[in-house]
Amino acid sequence: MTQMAQSRRRFLAALTAAGGAGLFGATSSIGQEAPPETATVRLSKIAGTCIAPQYLAEEFLRLEGFADVQYVMSDAGIGQSRALARGEVDFSLNFAAPLVIPIDAGEAISIIAGVHSGCFELFGNERIRSIADLKGSTVGVQGLGGSPHVFLAAMAANVGLDPVKDINWVTSPSVAPKELFAQGKIDAFLGFPPEPQELRARKIGRVIVNSSIDRPWSRYFCCMLAGNKDFIRKHPVATKRVLRAILRATNLCASEPTRVAQRMVDGGFTPQYDYALQALKEISYAKWREFDPEDTIRFYALRLREVGMIKSSPNKIIADAADWRFFNELKRELKG
Amino acid sequence: MRMALIIALVMLASILPASVMLMQPPSDTQRATSEEQPLPKIAPAPGFRLTSQDGAQISLANLRGKVVAVTFIFTRCSDTCPVLTSMMSLVQDRLGPDFGSKIVFASITVDPEHDTPEMLKLYAQMYGADVAGWSFLTGPPPIVQDLTRRYGVFASQTANGGIDHSFLTSIVDRRGILRVQYLGVRFDPEEFRRDLLSLLRER
Repeated sequence: MTQMAQSRRRFLAALTAAGGAGLFGATSSIGQEAPPETATVRLSKIAGTCIAPQYLAEEFLRLEGFADVQYVMSDAGIGQSRALARGEVDFSLNFAAPLVIPIDAGEAISIIAGVHSGCFELFGNERIRSIADLKGSTVGVQGLGGSPHVFLAAMAANVGLDPVKDINWVTSPSVAPKELFAQGKIDAFLGFPPEPQELRARKIGRVIVNSSIDRPWSRYFCCMLAGNKDFIRKHPVATKRVLRAILRATNLCASEPTRVAQRMVDGGFTPQYDYALQALKEISYAKWREFDPEDTIRFYALRLREVGMIKSSPNKIIADAADWRFFNELKRELKG
Repeated sequence: MRMALIIALVMLASILPASVMLMQPPSDTQRATSEEQPLPKIAPAPGFRLTSQDGAQISLANLRGKVVAVTFIFTRCSDTCPVLTSMMSLVQDRLGPDFGSKIVFASITVDPEHDTPEMLKLYAQMYGADVAGWSFLTGPPPIVQDLTRRYGVFASQTANGGIDHSFLTSIVDRRGILRVQYLGVRFDPEEFRRDLLSLLRER
């Protein structure tokens, strides 16, 4: 009982070595459950760090019997959803709104779980004090249809603004909206981790909405786990095992953020340990049991329908794409 | 000395909130949920036959007829294992006469090369474990590693000989079926106790 040799780096080195050496091969199984129908699973990799559970899930996926875990670079937001629909990745955590839009367009995506709330923060300059103040202002987004644009449109609609007419969207594929905002060239922008953490550290702008604290946003899931519909139909055991790995990783994000932040840096998912750690501490990773994922889809589908971004009713979106079988089972099987 | 102080502080910190939770009577909602929602039947639990702190051979098959809580720890662990073992010790006390006769705990080491039966015996004493119902188990490293993996627990030796592992506490019913798994070490001990007792009421 004297020595304890758990340093963060050593843990991560061991974690990596274990994965690389194939210590947890395809024969692993929880109890005597059936093995997954496939030993390969592909997940998306994006610049954002709020989907930390997805990055951390690799070792848990190996325990679930996936010998081949692949991370595929994807564009964030709608790009992630389209990669899912095209079958380029099998699963991805993604913000609810950019999942709803392609589902409305008939893309083959199923949403299987809510994972965490509270990713994004709306930043404004001294003229912006509320969402309503966005009327007539310049708001930067990387591109129309991306997560920030969709989310901001939903937020504007929620306070009665018309996001098409009332907001001057500034798109710049070459300069990040965060930098435009820092340079004073736009009035507001929506940041996803690690952007809010960086801006706050640099004392730039003010936070107008923090989705992990401010209602109604804090009462809904931000990131949900979605999968390729065909993959889920053909691989139900694998799907449940993927979700279990993600939920276990989510729990680790809540309980051991320092360890997870270092893992993300070492795994090449983010260069900034401090910002990753801060985001991990701020995002509500421990609340995946508390919210109803259907409420989240309904909420965002309503907002997007109000502003004309989708045509389907929330009920149709839910009927077409929501599949809570695995989530409901795992909420009962995994506690803590 | 310093390590002993740290362990004592960790234990104190863990025991206080757990004690408060255990002292509070379950609410009607909690009781109703526990009574109305039987735990799911996940799959047959992975079997094991390992050596206890007293040198006895303990197998899951021999525990058939009892509800078993299976967890994974190691004796050199100074940060999170003490939290879990302290909490289980509190639950042990709260189970009263059912503990040992109807409900048992099995804490399996993820460090079998270091954790001999003698080391496990000291560990059991340190945490006030009633070994009539709580076995601390070790065995050949390949067997323990395979078992750890089959319960869904990550465990790996670090470069300097330490152990890193994830926490998952499994409850196995009297027929040997895995019924629920608790993530981490900060779960609600009262809910854990209720789940154990709920399986005693099943026919």
